[in-house]
Amino acid sequence: MPEPDLRIRVGVDIVGVERIARLASEHLARLDTVFTAAELEYCSRKRRRDDHLAARFAAKEAVLKAVGTGLRKRMQWTDVEVVRDASGRPGVRLHGEVAAIARRKGVARIELSLSHSAGLAMAGAIAICSEPSDREWAA
Amino acid sequence: MSTTDVHKAVQEAVVGALGVSEDEASPDATLMDDLGAESIDLLDILFRIERSTGVKIAASDLGDYIQGGIPDDRFSDDNGIISAEGLEHLKTVMPQLDEGASLEAEHVIQHFTVQNLGDMVAQRAAAGAGA
Repeated sequence: MPEPDLRIRVGVDIVGVERIARLASEHLARLDTVFTAAELEYCSRKRRRDDHLAARFAAKEAVLKAVGTGLRKRMQWTDVEVVRDASGRPGVRLHGEVAAIARRKGVARIELSLSHSAGLAMAGAIAICSEPSDREWAA
Repeated sequence: MSTTDVHKAVQEAVVGALGVSEDEASPDATLMDDLGAESIDLLDILFRIERSTGVKIAASDLGDYIQGGIPDDRFSDDNGIISAEGLEHLKTVMPQLDEGASLEAEHVIQHFTVQNLGDMVAQRAAAGAGA
């Protein structure tokens, strides 16, 4: 049976805020290998910084699941960047190897939702795929 | 740093990051299946190893090490099962794997042990020292 033109793939992830807080306090100097400068700057301005870091880490995992890649290849955690539009709505910008994989898999758009409460941060990502495209993910 | 010291440092990193005992972090324990490590824990382990040994390893390096530079389409077949070429390479980096096993490429990292990680770090340390 031929595949339909439009396909969606879903990824979700949940991260304990305490776990990311411990990582951040013990390896502060290495956080730039996990989060982009813009993500770190955004979170550092928040009163509950670790909640926002945890939500971003969950988002990276959720997006990787939705795109369908794991910890393989030359992937960097910073290849998945959580951004916000003017209204504050979260979105995704892909870079490097993950952007290349997304292109190959025909991912045309990714919708993202974040939430944190009671010491947990959660993210859900929906990758909307069409035919493989040349879309330039990186801004 | 000797190979023994590297393996000791790797075990200490696993113990510190996962909060398990030294007995639990035995050489043949798999990081993900046996010890329950998630990706954030792997990051913690690798950061700790870097701090104690100076060997820098990215999380994605684990996959590269396991696959050994073999392209995806040769490492596994269309169903994602590891090929004969892939299994031949795996014998060198994960010798504990059952030769006759039908392994999915996507899940092979779940069989990665504390010993495998120690071997990888020791190899990187030796390569760095020789550079």
